[in-house]
Amino acid sequence: MDLVRDVLDRKLVDREDCDMGRVDGLVMQLGAHSQPRVTHILIGGTVPWTRLHPALRKLATNLARKWGPRRAEPVRIPWSRVITAGRDIRLDVKARDTGAIDWEIWIARNIIKRIPGGGQEEVE
Amino acid sequence: MKKILQITLGIVTSVGGFLEIGSVLTAAQAGAVFGYQLLWALLIGTVCLIFLVEMSGRLAAVSKHTIVDATRERFGFPFFFIVLVGMVLVAVLVLIAELGGIGLSLQLLTGIGFPWWAIPVSLLVWLLMWKGTFSLIENGASLLGLITISFVIAAIKLHPDWSSAGAGLLPTMPHDQKARYGFIAVSILGASISPYLMYFYSSGAIEDKWDESYIGVNRIIATLGMSFGGFLSMAVLIAAALSLHPRGIQPDTFDKTAVLMTSAFPKWGIVLFAASMLVACFGAAVEISLAIAYFFCQGFGWNWSQNLEPSKNARFALVYTIIILSSAIPLVFGIDPVKMTMISMALTAAMLPVAIVPFLFLMNDPIYMGKHGNGWVSNSVVAIIIILSFILAVISIPLEIMGG
Amino acid sequence: MTEIHIELLLGTKVRDVDGEDIGRIEELRVERDDKALLVDAYLIGTSALIERLSAWTLVRPIQRFLNSRKLYSLYRVPWQDMDLSDPKHPRLRIAKRDLRHAK
Repeated sequence: MDLVRDVLDRKLVDREDCDMGRVDGLVMQLGAHSQPRVTHILIGGTVPWTRLHPALRKLATNLARKWGPRRAEPVRIPWSRVITAGRDIRLDVKARDTGAIDWEIWIARNIIKRIPGGGQEEVE
Repeated sequence: MKKILQITLGIVTSVGGFLEIGSVLTAAQAGAVFGYQLLWALLIGTVCLIFLVEMSGRLAAVSKHTIVDATRERFGFPFFFIVLVGMVLVAVLVLIAELGGIGLSLQLLTGIGFPWWAIPVSLLVWLLMWKGTFSLIENGASLLGLITISFVIAAIKLHPDWSSAGAGLLPTMPHDQKARYGFIAVSILGASISPYLMYFYSSGAIEDKWDESYIGVNRIIATLGMSFGGFLSMAVLIAAALSLHPRGIQPDTFDKTAVLMTSAFPKWGIVLFAASMLVACFGAAVEISLAIAYFFCQGFGWNWSQNLEPSKNARFALVYTIIILSSAIPLVFGIDPVKMTMISMALTAAMLPVAIVPFLFLMNDPIYMGKHGNGWVSNSVVAIIIILSFILAVISIPLEIMGG
Repeated sequence: MTEIHIELLLGTKVRDVDGEDIGRIEELRVERDDKALLVDAYLIGTSALIERLSAWTLVRPIQRFLNSRKLYSLYRVPWQDMDLSDPKHPRLRIAKRDLRHAK
């Protein structure tokens, strides 16, 4: 499998087909003499902005701390949770529990549902 | 049976998407200043759009990806972000022009100035997106859009010399006002080849759950639909050539542009013109807002669907809400929608390479397209569009300054 | 154990043990294991970029049209031969001449 072509920037879905964002980054662990292992998928946080330019990392961190769910750290999902890596990457998790849709929930709760007609139920 | 229904609905949708303030004003300008001479620009624009829209639909049907999905996946976040910024900036300018067009139409009908209409109009557009489903929007705005056929009737009623009009389908150089000619030609191409239409179409194909069996239908929709839209624009140009050109009227305001309809319909012309523009701009405003929201959501991997209620795709709803309401603001301060239209059409032409170059890669990607990738004909057309769009990008800004 | 962000490794220039420029990291070839992906090799060079963009369908006809015989470089560096102790400046543990020029 080719990592950049087949994994990086792919869409992630949870076990109930809920969109969880995209693979913004991947963590590789290096030992002194062992084969490097890709261990975690990274979603959101400062990861995509650091790819644009390293200087944006600080700006993104400061902004993220002030608004919304107030979390600047990306979501880390262990690779062991990947079920399939095809057109989308399917994970054996529930999106809600990972923190990947915290922004979605925060916006739904604090902005959208305050507007008439915005909806009653929580995001699944 | 379902596919046949899709064709008719799809064609009607294309009408709603193609004809809007940009295509009407640029065609009216062209007819008023140069008679039939710029019909070739509309022909080229229409043919290019047919190819691009067909490809957008094919990409979605075969790869089950929208253009934005595929752009992010194949080229990575940094490149995608550059495209996002470019496309969204230009789309917002066009949206301001469309909302302004709705306001100007209401101004024609009621006498109340367009800045007063800016907020109510944008709230109405927002409300349709907040409460409406994709089908309602697709069908509703499009069926109403059939009123734009009044442009065709107007053109015919004015008794054009069809052989002279036909001669305008071949490119010729004007005797004077060359910069102006160039600028209007560029604006026509920018008005016809709108990237947001491609993004919207590929998203619609995914919303409607197209698969490989829709490839044939897609070809028909793209060809007939976009041809119909191009045909309508040509009717506007011809009507302007017959009513504005002889009298030396410059269509730089809505009132003056309306003359192309009142010449053919002395009694009802104003109402027909205003109603046609109202519906066309409304449909375009909704499509552009959706296209921008789709761009963010598909690129970042957020939930998106016009068929879900807002709280189920909160970020999607937030994006279009912010975009629509903030686009109303310049209009409240009286920014001229007609000037805005001409500027945004030229800038659209300038930004085309950013949209089309990655698209060429995607349409030749064997992983996405399987055996349905571009043949040499489609690739040649895209290559010509890219060369054309680079030329347009380079000359549109100086032309804007010289001829606008 | 050091942690490296792969998305930041993309596009970094690689030098061999003698300091000679090889190209940029464009792709990582991996094998699946139960718990993780094992990095098998690093693909370096313009050819690797074209492969990653699935762009051969476009590049080959253009090359033919321009009558170009230019061979785009592609090096396949096995994981053992890559030194990532400084992720911003990856180095090979071997010399360029010892690398097999991949097809």
